Amino acid sequence: MLLLKSLAVIALTSAASAARLTVSIPSSPPLLPNPASLGPSTHAILIGPPGVRYEAPIRRDSTFAFPDLAEASYLLTVQSRDYFFPPLRVDVTKAADGTQQETVQAWQTFRGNEWSNKGPFYGSGNGELKIQVQPSSQKDFYQDRGGFNLIGFVKSPMILMALVSVAFIFGMPYIMDNMDPEMKEEFDEMQKKGPLSGSGGAAAQLQNFDMASWLAGKGSGTEKGAGDGGKKR
Amino acid sequence: MLLPLVAAATLLLAPALAVFSDEAWTVDYHFALLGAPKEETSFFHRPNPSSKASLIYTLSEEHALGAVNPRDGSVVWRQLLSPGRDAHNASFLRAGEGEDVVISGIGSEVAAWSAADGKLVWNLNTEGPLEDVEIVELSDGKETAGAKDAMTLSSGSHPTVQRIDGASGAVKWQYRIDGSDAPYQLSASSTQVFAILLHKTILGYVKLRVVALDPVTGRKTDEYTLSSENELATAENIISVGANSASPIIAWTDAAHTTLKVNVVGTKTISSFNIERHDDSAVERVRLHAPYHVNSLSHFLVHYETATSHWAEVYDIDLKNSKVDKAYSLPRVAGKGAFSTSTSDANVYFTRVTRDELSTVSSASHGVLGRWSLSSFGVASGIGEQVEPLHAVSEVSVKGDAVSAIRTTVLLSTGDWVLLRDGKGVWNRPEMLAGTVAVTFAIPANAAALVQQLEVEAHSNPVAAYIHRVRRHIADLQKLPSLLVSMPQRIVKGFLGTSADDLTGSDTFGFRQIIACATRSGRLVALDAGHPDRTLRNMEVADLKPGQSWRPSLSSSKDGVIQLSSMAGAGVDYNATDGQQLAESLPILPDEPDLATSNTVQYTMRGNSLEATYEYNPSWTFTPMHGERILGLVPRPVNDPVASIGKVLGDRRVLYKYLDSNVALLVTAHDESSKASFYVLNTASGAVIYSNVHAGVDLTAPISSIMSENWFAYSFTNEASDDASKGHQLVIGELFESLIPDDRGAMGAKSNYSSMQTDTEPFTLTQTYQIPEAISKLAVTRTRQGITSRQLLAVLPGSNAIVGIPYGIVDPRRPTNRDPTKDEQAEGLMRYTPVLEFDPKWYLNHQREVVGIKDVVTSPALIESTSLVFAYGLDIFGTRLSPSFSFDILGKDFNKFQMLATVAALAVATFVVAPLVMRKQVDQRWRFL
Repeated sequence: MLLLKSLAVIALTSAASAARLTVSIPSSPPLLPNPASLGPSTHAILIGPPGVRYEAPIRRDSTFAFPDLAEASYLLTVQSRDYFFPPLRVDVTKAADGTQQETVQAWQTFRGNEWSNKGPFYGSGNGELKIQVQPSSQKDFYQDRGGFNLIGFVKSPMILMALVSVAFIFGMPYIMDNMDPEMKEEFDEMQKKGPLSGSGGAAAQLQNFDMASWLAGKGSGTEKGAGDGGKKR
Repeated sequence: MLLPLVAAATLLLAPALAVFSDEAWTVDYHFALLGAPKEETSFFHRPNPSSKASLIYTLSEEHALGAVNPRDGSVVWRQLLSPGRDAHNASFLRAGEGEDVVISGIGSEVAAWSAADGKLVWNLNTEGPLEDVEIVELSDGKETAGAKDAMTLSSGSHPTVQRIDGASGAVKWQYRIDGSDAPYQLSASSTQVFAILLHKTILGYVKLRVVALDPVTGRKTDEYTLSSENELATAENIISVGANSASPIIAWTDAAHTTLKVNVVGTKTISSFNIERHDDSAVERVRLHAPYHVNSLSHFLVHYETATSHWAEVYDIDLKNSKVDKAYSLPRVAGKGAFSTSTSDANVYFTRVTRDELSTVSSASHGVLGRWSLSSFGVASGIGEQVEPLHAVSEVSVKGDAVSAIRTTVLLSTGDWVLLRDGKGVWNRPEMLAGTVAVTFAIPANAAALVQQLEVEAHSNPVAAYIHRVRRHIADLQKLPSLLVSMPQRIVKGFLGTSADDLTGSDTFGFRQIIACATRSGRLVALDAGHPDRTLRNMEVADLKPGQSWRPSLSSSKDGVIQLSSMAGAGVDYNATDGQQLAESLPILPDEPDLATSNTVQYTMRGNSLEATYEYNPSWTFTPMHGERILGLVPRPVNDPVASIGKVLGDRRVLYKYLDSNVALLVTAHDESSKASFYVLNTASGAVIYSNVHAGVDLTAPISSIMSENWFAYSFTNEASDDASKGHQLVIGELFESLIPDDRGAMGAKSNYSSMQTDTEPFTLTQTYQIPEAISKLAVTRTRQGITSRQLLAVLPGSNAIVGIPYGIVDPRRPTNRDPTKDEQAEGLMRYTPVLEFDPKWYLNHQREVVGIKDVVTSPALIESTSLVFAYGLDIFGTRLSPSFSFDILGKDFNKFQMLATVAALAVATFVVAPLVMRKQVDQRWRFL
């Protein structure tokens, strides 16, 4: 807390000899090939200790200028309608060699992390610092509705299955008609042998299922067949 | 079975909380306002000297600098300037002829802005507050090519005149004015710069001191005092100091407006003219309109105004002997009028706007060059109110002896800013809404009428009620023909459109509520939330004197009635639809500021402590600790329905919410230690039921707070410390009766509950999120029954936006340091992350930029899913929100054509397949038998 108070005091006293920070937005394809396209509402905010706050609107050359910074540790955010910019930490400290000019340093910082956790170093300068900040991502405001999409609709497995079965229903008779007589015979034979076909087959039993007798507990053979058919189904 | 359903529901919810691309720009509306333009800081100017197209530039009363496209009235660019700490309300805007920059001056900051796109070119702070900013039009070969220099006059402890380089913003020279005289204005002729100062004599009169400076070196060349005798009592009687004309002038009148004195700056002769009185009423105001260019004719117009009429006189200046002569006069016309000066080469034209006519004259002769009659300005006004033009700016092009085209923007007494092209209204901007201070939603009176009728029937005896009902139905029959006529149209619309944009007059869903806005200028403006581009009514409700302010509050406790009250005065009721006054006139009483009102508890600040009175009896007082001050109090909204008393967990057990209608969130600040304290109070007993202190809070940054249902939220900006990161934080707290599911704690055994005798304290869960930018105001969506989940609305002044944060995202029950269990997943809870980034899809305003929002109000629509949102401040923004998906209305996502096509396709398929199936069945029978 003491530190904060002293910072505030410094902020008040050292307004005369102050540092200059220039933040420029370079052309950064593919996200922002032309920084001049940023709107006039784009601005940069420097938040210092309580009560110390600077705001700079964008200039014609896509820069933000803070001409008069007091000694403190600042959070720099760039606000734009269409782009996100990473937050930066800017420190203005007394120069180590005791000269009049202050040292300005800038790092990337991370939200939700300790203030001492600094990211990539952006630069350092005596009395003046020029840094470049590139947008991190573009803002996408709109949610598209999952509207009707014919290809997506056809691609879905349910529809594919349905289409295949439709093809079979309509296609089978044609295939049967156009088969060789020999092949047809073979096919018929195969069908007869199959478990589902023939008078003893499950299909036939199912079709001829006698509900009344089954309920009456008669015809154990039929009952068994029905049960089997049910399992196979 | 239910679990997957719940999970599916939460999955469905997620995308519904965003702004859909097909609803953006249609469901929401936005007025990008500037505020009432000032006469002296509004003009037409060409942003690109090589092109003929011009824009209208203005620096408004709300300190918004902007460029407006004269074609459609849209804002090309805007910058909100800060007036600084000084209460000094002077602001300046200048543009040099053929320049691509405009130069603004406000507070102590001079800034040059790119005229085409509104980006900063340079800015400079002067030592003292600015008194005047001018552009040096003279060419001395020393200026940088392409940029004209600016000249400033600042007051303060060292009044200074500065010349600023037009290209770089560097100071070329400065001249400190000695003496204690107050700097007044700058004036420039083609060879000299004059600083005009007000010298107070011993008798209390004002004398004009003129200091002439060399524009190249900044050295003083001459100094003299004008003998204004004893007629200039205050600076208010100086009507104009012309700047940048071939012969700048100073004009003043005596206090009674009987004589007009004119002096050509640089000479000592004073011409005196008697002001003729045209009728009994005295001249109340004298204004002077002079061209603003060095090379235009030195003519000027003096505009006289009485309470009932106005007229004007045109004067010319003989440049050789600096003699001022009256040229001609323009006749007296009833009502107020506005004059504007436009130049074309050396010629000067004066355009006059009266109540019903627009006319243009040349400064050289009184022959009218063009005349157009105005039927009305096409703006909404109060009943019987006469719309008067207040001031105007014109762009005139003259061919031969007639005006070929004229564009005039007029500020009207209603607060509308309109553009007339050749006498026809092209657009109007409702700039009065930029000063909105209080807003309420109201149900239209005709919708409320049916409810009243039904109430009458419910409360009378059966026979009378039956007769009343039959009468009502017979009365309804009269509407049948018009209903039948509109029927085909409605059916067609019903097929083609969607149900959400049913605009045929009826308001089935409650989207077309009336929004009543009280403005700082004492007007009440009613908007239709369904058709916001049309102002329903705009009437003067408070007759405020200049400089007087009022603190209106609006409410609509009864359907169809808007109640307006100011301070502690009694309220006035207005019919919501037609604006008829229902009760007596409005008293404006100054009083102790009320903080907020909930139910019947009233809060008053007494010194530094908060006193709550319940039905006019003091019930409790909250006195903050030593050194603390109360920042604000947010009670739970009066109308805050909650559908469920508990939260259903994933395993079908219930956590009971602590629901009490008498809770409020109080914020206090301790300046010395920069701590902010947040208290949840029981407003009936005054008990503190939850409190929290945050250290290292920036108390100059906005601290916003909200209380709703059983939760509260607040945000602040904090300084870096050992355990906290620097930045902005959002804290959410939720109050529960107990934290054990299916258990009501101490409340379980009770059948009655009283705030006064309660010993139960809620269990509070809180979570803090690091957010990317400051929140200046918090609000919450409201729906009719409270079934729909809530959305936290946050105003972000940094990115000029309003975000709608779904409550599920900031739920304080999000598990920390572990992944959510299956049950928690089913509830939609995610693992807690300390950083909450605002998804751009939550931006209610999407690509629009809402500037200067001060507050957001919400209102339930008639259908449960939807909440109406209206944000005001400088801009006006409104939209409809469905925080839990539009489950009770067919929205834009419902494709009627697709549904009809599917039905048709199925019908066709049935008809095609039916014979096939029949044949197959018959075939099969034959095969098996």
